[in-house]
Amino acid sequence: MPEVNGMGHGTIEVRLDSQEADLLRNLTDEIASVLQPGAPRSDPVVERLFPDAHESRKEARSYRDLVGEDLRAGKKEALKTVETKLGDSGRASLSLGPGEVDAWLTVLTDLRLAIGIRLEVTEETMDEEPDPGDPDGAAKTVLHWLGWLQEMTLAELAEEER
Amino acid sequence: MQRTVAPDRVEEINEKEIAEPDRPWLVIVWNDPINLMSYVTWVFQKLFGYSKEKATKLMLDVHYKGKAVVSSGTREKAEFDCFRLHAHGLWATLTKSD
Repeated sequence: MPEVNGMGHGTIEVRLDSQEADLLRNLTDEIASVLQPGAPRSDPVVERLFPDAHESRKEARSYRDLVGEDLRAGKKEALKTVETKLGDSGRASLSLGPGEVDAWLTVLTDLRLAIGIRLEVTEETMDEEPDPGDPDGAAKTVLHWLGWLQEMTLAELAEEER
Repeated sequence: MQRTVAPDRVEEINEKEIAEPDRPWLVIVWNDPINLMSYVTWVFQKLFGYSKEKATKLMLDVHYKGKAVVSSGTREKAEFDCFRLHAHGLWATLTKSD
């Protein structure tokens, strides 16, 4: 099980064994492709990570022209921060300062959104325990595991603010 | 963030903005089944400096009513807030208030 501990001054330490760290390394590799400039908007994950800001298509387009690249660059930078902290192999101990905690929570969110959109989860299916025979069972377990990591991190941050 | 405007349209846009100086833009966050309630609350506190109580109320509005207005102001401010929400993975849109 991962360990998440507050270290004071808004710093969080996340300890992962090699299997958990490898899982996160694989997931960050997978999401890198949807953060590429050529990623098609017909992909629902791309559409969700870079949503239209306006109802009118024309205004949505012009907003995207204005800030789309900054948004993409920010997400890639957050991903890079987490990848660097994870290292190349073996278990990982991530010491995350305040700005890095933001990157960590953002990356966990993007990973959860990507998995959740692919699984087409709804409020109802989100709370269900996966059946043993469910072909999406493993992905659902990962989705909840990432959520648990996020909850633990937020709980430690709240604890530090007391 | 700077918006650029083609020179021949400047006059027309200025007139429009002068005619409606107080009509603010609203930033709306929509419910989604994936983001955690605790995370959404944290994002509202962090981005907008809201108290835990206010951020929690807005999060609950998003969750139970399907959406909530989380900030408002000039078009530039609203666009900036929307950008930061998107950067944090929340589903946000902009609209001009009636």
